[in-house]
Amino acid sequence: MAQEGAAGGSLERHCPTYIYKVVLLGSTAVGKSSLAYRYMKNDFQESLPTVGCSFFTKILRMESATVKLEIWDTAGQEKYHSVCHLYYRGAHAALLVYDITNKETLGRAKQWLKELEKEFLHDEIVIALVGNKTDLAEEREVPTEEGEEFARSRSLLFAETSAKSNHQVKDVFMAVALQLLQREAETAPAPRRGQHVDLGASRARTGCCRV
Amino acid sequence: EYEEKTGRAHRPLSPKQNVRKNLDFEPLSTTALILEDRPANLPAKPAEEAQKHRQQYEEMVVQAKKRELKEAQKRKKQLEERCKLEDSIGNAVLTWNNEILPNWETMCCSRKVRELWWQGIPPSVRGKVWSLAIGNELNITHELYDICLARAKEKWRSLSTGGAEVECEDAGFSAADREASLELIKLDISRTFPNLCIFQQGGPYHDTLHSILGAYTCYRPDVGYVQGMSFIAAVLILNLDTADAFIAFSNLLNKPCQMAFFRVDHGLMLTYFAAFEVFFEENLPKLFAHFKKNNLTPDIYLIDWIFTLYSKSLPLDLACRVWDVFCRDGEEFLFRTALGILKLFEDILTKMDFIHIAQFLTKLPEDLPSEEFFTSIAAIQMQSRNKKWAQILAALQKDNREMEKGSPSLKR
Repeated sequence: MAQEGAAGGSLERHCPTYIYKVVLLGSTAVGKSSLAYRYMKNDFQESLPTVGCSFFTKILRMESATVKLEIWDTAGQEKYHSVCHLYYRGAHAALLVYDITNKETLGRAKQWLKELEKEFLHDEIVIALVGNKTDLAEEREVPTEEGEEFARSRSLLFAETSAKSNHQVKDVFMAVALQLLQREAETAPAPRRGQHVDLGASRARTGCCRV
Repeated sequence: EYEEKTGRAHRPLSPKQNVRKNLDFEPLSTTALILEDRPANLPAKPAEEAQKHRQQYEEMVVQAKKRELKEAQKRKKQLEERCKLEDSIGNAVLTWNNEILPNWETMCCSRKVRELWWQGIPPSVRGKVWSLAIGNELNITHELYDICLARAKEKWRSLSTGGAEVECEDAGFSAADREASLELIKLDISRTFPNLCIFQQGGPYHDTLHSILGAYTCYRPDVGYVQGMSFIAAVLILNLDTADAFIAFSNLLNKPCQMAFFRVDHGLMLTYFAAFEVFFEENLPKLFAHFKKNNLTPDIYLIDWIFTLYSKSLPLDLACRVWDVFCRDGEEFLFRTALGILKLFEDILTKMDFIHIAQFLTKLPEDLPSEEFFTSIAAIQMQSRNKKWAQILAALQKDNREMEKGSPSLKR
């Protein structure tokens, strides 16, 4: 986007740009698209069922870096499963979304985790477990502690959100971005990894951060 | 007529309106703008200034009148165009009803009919033409629909009375899956064309959509309900009676391309994508190279387009016109349409990177110009080195089969 071009030159040395692919996974109708929509437009609307995948981008200007999130919002129906691995390939982060009013959806999120663990090494991907729909508190089936406990046991980020009432949506994406940056600092002394092509990324996009 | 009546009713009240009624257009801004002298408690304007103001005022009025005249002419032209369009639709309806439909078998492939077909089928005969073109290879009768629907209703009942839990014991996963599928249908119905407000709970077609999708899961439990289906069924319901919509729906989904996708047969889907790419490269080599460079694979945009037959991604009237020609030309037209879209936006797309292309194609602009869109599709050649779509696809499928038969090391 335009800001990126302007940020070039000497500024870039101080403030590198990182591009991260973030994939939203979870059962159908847990609110993946609504979370993305809330995050992008700060609004809530009834989403259409996602067929395949939809895409969003968000640019975060942080103190130490500019982070560009490429958000892949995938179809939730289990039948699409065999197509879905197309989508999480090369992801830097994943949000495993479940619906706090539907226990089964947490089980499904755990299955997604298993699958991701097959595909990625532990430090290759940042994973957040997200319990959505806190606005439906009276219909809650999954206690906060249950999600939290599971997330802790697998060292995942955890948050309960409501796309509808705008609860902690920004925060969860921000937490993911911060953790990505932190890993960046830990794994590579010189800012290289996300800036160019990630070795783990099968969809190589060379130098697109400078476009 | 209505205006005349209200005009007459107002006449005694406002003589001014009477005068205005005689005009072709109503110069709103000119009447809203009134030049007045200064109030009496202030000293009058000097003659020179008053003259200047009058002149300025007159100029403004002239400009406003000009603008309004222009707008009135534009409106008139639009009206004329609409009348012309309505006339041509009226004529087309006559041709379809009196000439083509009664002689379907002999006429459906004639050049004249094919050309008329390309222009778009008038909505009043659309359903009939789609039904005939899709056919009924599966020999589904209205009775069969009733049987499937009755079975679906039984299942819904047993679910709501909690009988499903008992069933779950022995049937295990499949029962849970079926339940999920019925749940999902309910959920998706409310998310199908929500802006039309007719498929939602309480809307006139809510039950119809529910019935057709439920009946289908009983008719084809091996396929079941797959997201995207609700859009296809909805478009059919808008054009056909319930049982006929079900017949068209089942036969449509039974076509090889739709079966491959709705069964989520990944290997076969990839073959379709590969065939698509052959024609992509042939028709739009520059854009094809740009997509390759950005690692933008066709699944990114084709999955949504093919699964919903464009009914989710294009404005409904355009989607119906795509369906028209899809019924005429078969699956290859779905891929030709995709190339038409890419061609229409080629210039913008070549300037975008991966994520922006993906974003753009999965959320097309809402104001697609229909004529340009179809011109763009028409410019796509579905022939590659003298080979047609079906031949290319068959060759790729054969390669795939041979590869699968070959040694495991040859796979992938």
